[in-house]
Amino acid sequence: MGLQNHKEEFMNLYEIMFILNPDIGEDEREKLTTRLKTIISKNKGDIIRFDDLGFKSLTYKIKKKSRGQYFLTNLEGPGSMIAEIERFLRIDENVIRFVVVKLDKHISRQDLEPKVEPQPEAAQAPAPEQGEVGA
Amino acid sequence: MQDRPPRTQSGSKQKPYYKRKTCRFCEEKTLPIDYKAPHVLKDFITERGKILPRRITGTCAHHQKKLATEIKRARIMALIPFTVHD
Repeated sequence: MGLQNHKEEFMNLYEIMFILNPDIGEDEREKLTTRLKTIISKNKGDIIRFDDLGFKSLTYKIKKKSRGQYFLTNLEGPGSMIAEIERFLRIDENVIRFVVVKLDKHISRQDLEPKVEPQPEAAQAPAPEQGEVGA
Repeated sequence: MQDRPPRTQSGSKQKPYYKRKTCRFCEEKTLPIDYKAPHVLKDFITERGKILPRRITGTCAHHQKKLATEIKRARIMALIPFTVHD
């Protein structure tokens, strides 16, 4: 069993930011993102977060466009997954720019996960835990 | 805590007194060096978009190296300009 595990690919954390053509419609953008997500899951990748950062103006023109739709995603997966993603992003004409960053080793998955409702936790914290403290 | 003697202002004949520049990222641990935070990176580039040298900003070697890569990433993503020309 140990030998088989040896063959397994090491999982890394990645961050991908990409810019889409601002002129494409909602459904076309949806199609592209779902295709990207299937590529990720097919290559043993796991999406930690997938954010739409909305429209931003580019500081210089790319493909004669001065605006773009920014997306930011964090993934966990093997290096081979990245090769497939890069291939896809490079081929698709609606992707005007992308950048892939392999995250530092000291960054953990928990740091990347979107924070879910920090308020109830904060509300609970000041409440004294009488039962346990008393014992 | 030890109390150090107050730093003396130099006299008129001596060299002019300069405040020692310190690395902003060492001082402010929460300040991100990240291509996604172009408003921070903008402090470390010239009006024309060039990366400012350490001797001007006072950034330490460790952070300057990270800063340079993040500036380059931000340029690729069109968050900050490569050049600014008329």
